[in-house]
Amino acid sequence: MGMNEREIHALLTASGIDGVGGLEQPDLDPTVVLQPSALVEVMTLLRDDERLAMEMLHCVTAVDREDRVDVVYHVCSFARHHALTLRTSVAKPDDADESWHPEVPSVASVYAAADWHEREQWDLLGVHFTGHPDLRRLLLPPEWIGHPLRKDYVYPSEHGGIPLELDAVPIYERDEREDTPPVAEPRPAGTPLNQPPSAPSARPHAGGKAPAKKEGEG
Amino acid sequence: MEALEMYTTDERSDVYTEELKLNLGPQHPSTHGVLRVELKMDGEIITDSRCDIGYLHRCAEKIGENVTYLQFTPYTDRMDYLASMNNNLAWSLTVEKLMGLEVPERAQWLRMICSELNRIASHLIAFGTYGIDIGANTPFFYAFRERESIMQLLERPSGARMLYNYIQPGGVRRDVDDNWIGDVLAFCDEFEKRWAEYNTLLSNNYIFIKRTANIGILTQSMALDYGCTGPVLRGSGVRWDLRRDVPYLEPYDEVDFDVPVGEGTHGALGDCWDRYWVRMREMMESIRIIRQGCAKLPGGEVMTKKQTSMYKSPMKAAEGAHAYMRCENPRGELAFYAVSEGGTSPIRLRARAPSFCNLAVLDQLLPGTMLGDGVAIIGSLDIVLGEVDR
Repeated sequence: MGMNEREIHALLTASGIDGVGGLEQPDLDPTVVLQPSALVEVMTLLRDDERLAMEMLHCVTAVDREDRVDVVYHVCSFARHHALTLRTSVAKPDDADESWHPEVPSVASVYAAADWHEREQWDLLGVHFTGHPDLRRLLLPPEWIGHPLRKDYVYPSEHGGIPLELDAVPIYERDEREDTPPVAEPRPAGTPLNQPPSAPSARPHAGGKAPAKKEGEG
Repeated sequence: MEALEMYTTDERSDVYTEELKLNLGPQHPSTHGVLRVELKMDGEIITDSRCDIGYLHRCAEKIGENVTYLQFTPYTDRMDYLASMNNNLAWSLTVEKLMGLEVPERAQWLRMICSELNRIASHLIAFGTYGIDIGANTPFFYAFRERESIMQLLERPSGARMLYNYIQPGGVRRDVDDNWIGDVLAFCDEFEKRWAEYNTLLSNNYIFIKRTANIGILTQSMALDYGCTGPVLRGSGVRWDLRRDVPYLEPYDEVDFDVPVGEGTHGALGDCWDRYWVRMREMMESIRIIRQGCAKLPGGEVMTKKQTSMYKSPMKAAEGAHAYMRCENPRGELAFYAVSEGGTSPIRLRARAPSFCNLAVLDQLLPGTMLGDGVAIIGSLDIVLGEVDR
């Protein structure tokens, strides 16, 4: 029961759809390589063909590589007990920067599951899925700039007025010469200690906080 | 949809309400975390809904690109924090598939027993909180009592109560103590009696059935189209369980268990009660699996020798290799996709979270229902926002 990836690949090649490429990584998760233009047609075939019956789009993943951006689709069939990995790629132009968005056709019209998956990949990797009904950011706030899972992503220095660099908020001064964590200085006697009004030990009717002069622990 | 026809303003032309935008969440107990739903309301009836997620986004995938394969295991704990064992398992299997690691037999059986225990604990939360969603407070306390026993059992080998980091690439971190198996079996006996109590308390309660039957009907085709998996898919009548159909652990092949599916007992197939009842029966199937696992547990090592060296010099995956591994989690199919370019960490790591896909269908289920039923529908999907947002 079920077909293996080679058989499915042979079936896709025989279907006459333009842009079905080879089969890569044959020993571990064999992957069918596709041209972006063939994507919607192949997905429709995968879903509707009786022998394939891929009912579910399991996952959509974009991968930022050195010279290209991949979009990887995992589909599976429950009726036929088989699954398939498909990959499509967009080559990076030489002058690609953060504002470059690779364009891949959306498969949301074939599988409704692609809706959120594609939105997430747009959000995190900036892949523009053409024909998507509602390509908004999904996880990050709408005003976010950039796509954080891209390799060329520049970390923001602040968000909403809050500095994001760890160096900007020194947690403690580290002694660089000896490279040992600092030891807390003992408080001198008579240091005012702030007893918060809501401390569990505060008496209920004390009425607000009363700074107590303390001598050590006494 | 029936409710909509009954109560629409057209019928009583003298009564009308203006469209109201209602913000459900993000800090609302019925949304099971930080989920925000923008609702458009016509009186008590939801006419449109839009989910807003991302409040718990902790960049797990980005972190995964910057830590080694082994170091990422604790981060998987924090995705679906109610089923950490299962998350650890899915990630470990992904790494093992990518690197070709062998796992000792005893470790495989321990993995199965622990992840089934965690499945019960997770379903107990679903059961308890679903009662609260509907307005029954008592089941929650019953559920947490048994969950406490499970947490104490899982604490003994792992040292943690919720975020175990116990199952790791190559096996499990340490062996269980001598009395552990006996205590697990004692828990199984105890749990069977408790399970019967739950049913008298909630499952067969008249009000509960009225609140959940025929509510939030998810058809098979819609469930498949939106990528729903786990009890949500099985509640709609699709008999699919990776443990049975694609046994990702060898022991699952050697134990005997059923895959419960929704049957439309109290109404249409795929309603809230069906999803609830699938989870309830799955708990008993897990008990069956655990019993058989305890009886057949072999001796031997629990960790491959290779893994010790992974701590000292992190293992590298082959260049250009990528692996996709699916696992049956309590909430559905969790899958990890790791892409390697030969380094000690993946260049891309993707977590396909079951709750994420199950939640995507919510916007289709809500319109046409009453607001109170909307809460019942969200509860019946049993989402964990830690996993939705990652």
